[in-house]
Amino acid sequence: MRTILLATVAAVAASAAQAEELNALVWCDHTDPALIEPFEKAHGVKVNLKEYEGTGTALSIVEQSRPGDWDVFVIDGIDVPRAIDAGLLAPLPVAELPMADIFPEVVLEGFQSRDGNTYAVTEKFGYNTISYNKEKISAEELSEMQALWSSDEFAGRIAIYDYYLPVMGMVAMGLGKQTADIGEGDLPAIRDALFGLKKNARSVVDVVSSQTALATGEVDILVGGGEWVTAILAADQPELDWMIPDQGAVRWSQSIGVFADSERKDLAVEFVKYILSPEGQARLATSSCYWAMPANAKAGEVLTDQQKAALRWDDQPDYLKRAQLYPAPDGDLDAAMQDAWTEMLQH
Amino acid sequence: MTAVLRLASWGYALALYGFIFLPVVVLVLFSFQDGRLPIPPFEGPTLRWYAAVWQDRSLTAALGNSFVVALASSAVSCALGFLAAWGLARGRLAGGRAMQGLITAPLTVSYLLIGLGLMISFNLTGISPSLLTVGIGHAVINTPLCFAICFASMGDHQVNIERAARDLGAREWQVLWLVTAPMLLPALAAGFALSVTFSWDEFIIAFLLSRFDVTLPVEIWSLLRSGLNPKTNAAGSVVFLVSVAMVLAAEFTLLRRRR
Amino acid sequence: MTTPERAERRRAWAAVAPALLWTLAFFVVPFAMMAAMSLWQRQGREVVRVWDLSNYQDFLSKPHLLGALWNSIEITVLVTVISVVLAYPLAWIIAERVPRHLQRLALALAVLPFWTSYVVRSYAWTLVLAKNGVLNQALIGAGLIAEPLEISATRGATVTGFVHFFVMLLTLTIYANLVQLPANYRRAAADLGAGPLAVFWHVTLPLTLPGIMVGAFLTFVLCIGDYITPQILGGNSELVLPQVIMLQLGRGADLPMAAALSIVLMTVVTAAWLACARWLRLERA
Repeated sequence: MRTILLATVAAVAASAAQAEELNALVWCDHTDPALIEPFEKAHGVKVNLKEYEGTGTALSIVEQSRPGDWDVFVIDGIDVPRAIDAGLLAPLPVAELPMADIFPEVVLEGFQSRDGNTYAVTEKFGYNTISYNKEKISAEELSEMQALWSSDEFAGRIAIYDYYLPVMGMVAMGLGKQTADIGEGDLPAIRDALFGLKKNARSVVDVVSSQTALATGEVDILVGGGEWVTAILAADQPELDWMIPDQGAVRWSQSIGVFADSERKDLAVEFVKYILSPEGQARLATSSCYWAMPANAKAGEVLTDQQKAALRWDDQPDYLKRAQLYPAPDGDLDAAMQDAWTEMLQH
Repeated sequence: MTAVLRLASWGYALALYGFIFLPVVVLVLFSFQDGRLPIPPFEGPTLRWYAAVWQDRSLTAALGNSFVVALASSAVSCALGFLAAWGLARGRLAGGRAMQGLITAPLTVSYLLIGLGLMISFNLTGISPSLLTVGIGHAVINTPLCFAICFASMGDHQVNIERAARDLGAREWQVLWLVTAPMLLPALAAGFALSVTFSWDEFIIAFLLSRFDVTLPVEIWSLLRSGLNPKTNAAGSVVFLVSVAMVLAAEFTLLRRRR
Repeated sequence: MTTPERAERRRAWAAVAPALLWTLAFFVVPFAMMAAMSLWQRQGREVVRVWDLSNYQDFLSKPHLLGALWNSIEITVLVTVISVVLAYPLAWIIAERVPRHLQRLALALAVLPFWTSYVVRSYAWTLVLAKNGVLNQALIGAGLIAEPLEISATRGATVTGFVHFFVMLLTLTIYANLVQLPANYRRAAADLGAGPLAVFWHVTLPLTLPGIMVGAFLTFVLCIGDYITPQILGGNSELVLPQVIMLQLGRGADLPMAAALSIVLMTVVTAAWLACARWLRLERA
């Protein structure tokens, strides 16, 4: 018993005595050692990562922490204003960041800047649209989004990605609405469409289950999917592809910023600089959890041709034109949307 | 008639054993799958997913964390449970029944609720989630278990031996440590082993009360949520083998003691 | 009161105190805090400390939340009944048909998969039950079915995963009960002319009922509070209470609502406990 206690004490003491640490709240693509280890080695620090899905979850984690617990925040681009309102983010030294190299369409200045200060920078973007199995169904058959919830042809062939914001945004676009204009009044129509979608769906699933369902032939269509689901499977299963229907797709983007309460702001800024550098961007774009387009155009010089092909580097101008941003509901609308989503799950 | 009955019962037993072993066999089999998809046909065998597990530093770190949390929280649970069982069995205290009920109460509450309650109170009191809070959570669920096991094996025949030790001048802690604890060693060992396995496999409390350093079930959970990866099968098989090894070790040491 | 008795009592108090304080600090107080939290409210980004029952009213008025409770109860009752019905014969076969010196081994084998991590066990069932998974391919290969069974991502998958776990648990508890039965009760009944079925029905079953009830209660508590199995196997085709609680915690960041739903869950478990209370007393050897 005594040895056990001693071992425990030693283990705790050893972890306390370690080098400087940086605490980052991130999406799962940042947990790839291939991305993080080069930074840790270069600066002789340890990066602690906590992954989450969805801004609501992230904010609830931050609320349950003490000031100073967190240094770096990776957050949905459209939710940056919420974080600025809450006083969570610190202004960034834009002069040190490669702002000029960011694809202009994804800068989102109106979201990320306020009163001349920039609080976050876009680091990665992609689309919530439709992933499908080319051998089972053609892109033409999927071009009309409404058919997904109104046609029996798709019954039992669909999986829905379990994240209410992008999927409800897609459904709204399918109904001819703009994602930015969604209001309480639109919810009944969206909910009915969701119920139709649920009727056709085999399951409502997270990332892994959706990949598994597509890869094993359990379903042919993933609503809410995109390059971030299928690019990583492309090498093994070229028949898995993604497309954008006539009504368009939802564009997601991640931004990176530094917490206002951080006690290691300099190191945090170094981390942001690393992630936005061409090398960091290339590693982030092809990290193990999901692939997607880097925000920095210079990453194209680091990525291989094969990687760029999987990311559809050359098609981006067209895609960007046809995509709308995630919906960004305020507190009450957000709660109502979550309720509608839960009702869909229980339907 | 009896022959039919006998055949039916063996058939039934066989079918049920098949059902019980089906997922484990599939898991272990596809951990050797040479390909990304864990579905038939089986291609392989390969050991590359085991190599991938070995090289995954978050998985190995989580393995170490799980060991530390399981051993430390079980030690605390055993100490608290043993002392309380001894006090309640020997003391004839007023309200003994009520105290017994209070100490065993966590057994009847879902882990989710214990985890959530602790999360809320740590949150309100400003204590950050860490392996320490996870350990506290696990000691909360395992203390009643250790208590119940020790309490059930406290017989009245041990009282006289304790009294004799006291009469011979032993101090109270000496009686407990040198007389009572050795007599209850089988119960203590059983409680400790059970606590270790419960803590080792517990997910929801560890999930709610940890932040950066996580235990193995939580790490496997995030592995399951971040991309299709056959590493999961290999990691799961490793956990299974480690657990079975621990059970066998406990079984043999306990059996040897009993003889 | 004599001095040695008083000293003994003081010692006993000192021994019980740590566990009592521990239980108070990390079990009773957290529960009180959770109960208090369930009466507060989430407004915008703040938790407002007004005291009312609005979370409970919300729960009762929103069909998708109330539905989660019914799903939980239905699934748990289903799982408990199926598991007892499946486990009892196995425990009986091990206790009555397997030679005594092999019983330990038979029992150890019956619970061996218990030692897989429970997150992994649910995941392994998804591999078994998938549309092109092991089970379907085996059944199609054997010519038993033509079309794959659509079990994955349904309530059936959740129930299968649960039953697998609880059959192991119940086999253990029921076996422990069966071997404690004095053989001469049954012999006496047989001597008085009762057939094997009558002996089982009138002697064995009533005598093992307490063991069954303990196991069934354990199954009920563990099953109704579990998040992992329905989350991994159910495919979100419907939600149970723990899933809804976790949704409040994560996406909704609504701690008060999560607390209120937990109190509801707690109430259900307490009701089940009261129903089984007379079988659940802790006795000393």
